[in-house]
Amino acid sequence: MSELTQSSAPRRSVGGQLLGSSQLVLGIILAVLCIAISLAAPQFYSEANIIAILRQCALVLIVASGMTMLIITAEVDLSVGASLAFVGCIGMAVLNSTHSLALGMLAAFAFAGGVGLFNGLVVTRLKVNSLIATIGTMMMLQGGVYLFTREAVQNHHRLISFTDLGAGYIGAIPLPVVIAVVIFAIAAVTLRFTTLGRYLYAVGANERAVRLSGVRSERLKLFAFVVTGLCVGVAGMILSSLMNAGQPTAGRGFELTVIAAVILGGTSLLGGRGSLFGTLLGVLVLKVIDNGIIILGWNQDLQMVVPGVVIILATYLDIIRNRANVR
Amino acid sequence: MSLASTDTMKEGPSMLARLFARQELALLLCLILVITFFSFTAENFFSVRNMTNVLGQASLALTAGIGCAIVFMSGEVDISIGSLLATIALPLIIIMNDTNSLALGVGGALLFGLTIGVVNGYLTAYAGINSLIVTLGTMFVMRGGVYLYTGQRAIPDDAALDSFIALSDGRLFNVVPYSAVIAIVLLAAFAYMMQHRPFGRQIYAVGGNPEVARLAGYDVRRVKFICFIISALLATVAGIILAARVGSAQHTAGLNFEFQVVAATVLGGVSLAGGIGSLTGMALGVLILQFLSNGLRGLGLPTEWQLVITGMIIIAAVAFDEAKRRRIIGG
Repeated sequence: MSELTQSSAPRRSVGGQLLGSSQLVLGIILAVLCIAISLAAPQFYSEANIIAILRQCALVLIVASGMTMLIITAEVDLSVGASLAFVGCIGMAVLNSTHSLALGMLAAFAFAGGVGLFNGLVVTRLKVNSLIATIGTMMMLQGGVYLFTREAVQNHHRLISFTDLGAGYIGAIPLPVVIAVVIFAIAAVTLRFTTLGRYLYAVGANERAVRLSGVRSERLKLFAFVVTGLCVGVAGMILSSLMNAGQPTAGRGFELTVIAAVILGGTSLLGGRGSLFGTLLGVLVLKVIDNGIIILGWNQDLQMVVPGVVIILATYLDIIRNRANVR
Repeated sequence: MSLASTDTMKEGPSMLARLFARQELALLLCLILVITFFSFTAENFFSVRNMTNVLGQASLALTAGIGCAIVFMSGEVDISIGSLLATIALPLIIIMNDTNSLALGVGGALLFGLTIGVVNGYLTAYAGINSLIVTLGTMFVMRGGVYLYTGQRAIPDDAALDSFIALSDGRLFNVVPYSAVIAIVLLAAFAYMMQHRPFGRQIYAVGGNPEVARLAGYDVRRVKFICFIISALLATVAGIILAARVGSAQHTAGLNFEFQVVAATVLGGVSLAGGIGSLTGMALGVLILQFLSNGLRGLGLPTEWQLVITGMIIIAAVAFDEAKRRRIIGG
């Protein structure tokens, strides 16, 4: 896992160029997919289907926005799937007892942000490898959610504003998509145009150098963990609104989908390299594949097989292209 | 992911050896502590029957853990082993149902496992793709493949061969489960290889510092390639034991198994950074977690609490270990 760090250093000068073309490959894959699917099934381009795809993308994109920042700092969070389910249950329970959307959202944010803070503190203060730390948190949350509730927390409050969170529209665009776009835009601007964003890249690329230059690298990582947690809070509430219940079993494998989308988008697991635009393309590719499998009437179990192949293939193409560029 | 503990290598072998000795001693003390605690608190815990049962249950993670640890030591990761468990049960059960031969079934399963090991190893070592991505990908592909093939229904073991069933409930001298015997023999063989055979030393060298290993004339790619094959074959053995235990090929077999094994391996002091750790440590890590979950069940705690407590212990143990390591190196 550690070989790429040395080799990526001398290429930094052409880094921007590389990133650009990495997304080009992904863009072409996306375009080919869309054309192929629409030739086979013309209803792919119907308004209903496009909205369905976008809605599917929204949840993944929200969490992937935070996760991209986190992976850029060379850490990872495997607990987001388990946290997603727990947040939905807690949010719904608070809504049931208080009948206030604001308080429900607050509880969800507090919990999800707390999980992110916990992960961040364990990783930065106790120096536990984030892969292990978040597997630990994942186990705690998976067990904890069943101790909290053994069955789905049903919607007893019937708040319209809560239902709108998942099913509402602004104009012709579903509300979850609008929320996802806003979060994505904020994250993208932060990463690209702010000092904070540049530091996040720097921490991932060379943490020691950042620390020696007087910046507290731990705080940056902590920030990325908490942001990822808060994104899970948003996604968890939207999911429970869409399902009209807090499901303790929701979010199984969600962490892998999110991480797959981020990696597919060209963000390096070694940190210091990647972009949110790439993540957006990654999410779109994965969800268009999902959608294509459904509308072509293929076996839905292919939804696991195809992304697995795509992740490996896309990464391999990226490596080949990098080698060609270096020569 | 920030694999920053390579500094430890500078301290020289004697320092490292002492570090390992202490680490394993600490783990052994933990294990004794866990066993002692539950012997006094949990009913029917301290009995030969229960102890050997736990060993039998631990055999899955022990066997697969050897491979997981070896891949870690070479500086890579393999998270496809959970899906592999479900995948190799298909050729195993199908061939046994067709031919009524355990040998052919096991042979088919091992061949399947070998293929997957070759794919993982080739993509990582020779194509140069990050092993986390490769094995995440093959994990998806295999699990999806099993779902597709079985239509999410279990394939029962119709042959019901005595020799196959003995794998799950047979006991050597009526005491030690055969599955535990298999795990212990494999563990001993691979521990010997890691400490006393050139290839074992090569794995440590490649994981500790690939550049130095390359300059020393080791074929870094080949070593990593073989580590993935070892990991897949050992996971296949674990998958065969699991299939014997449940008496069928289950599409959900081994879900989250990779996380349990990774956690136990890291608990046992095998570093994700590569080049550090021992199979004895890994085995102690597996046993601690297994006795813990068995004891908690004995106390009558619901399984959810076991998950919560296991998660906390993993984090605490790794944090403690990290603090100790920094004190030794820094102080």
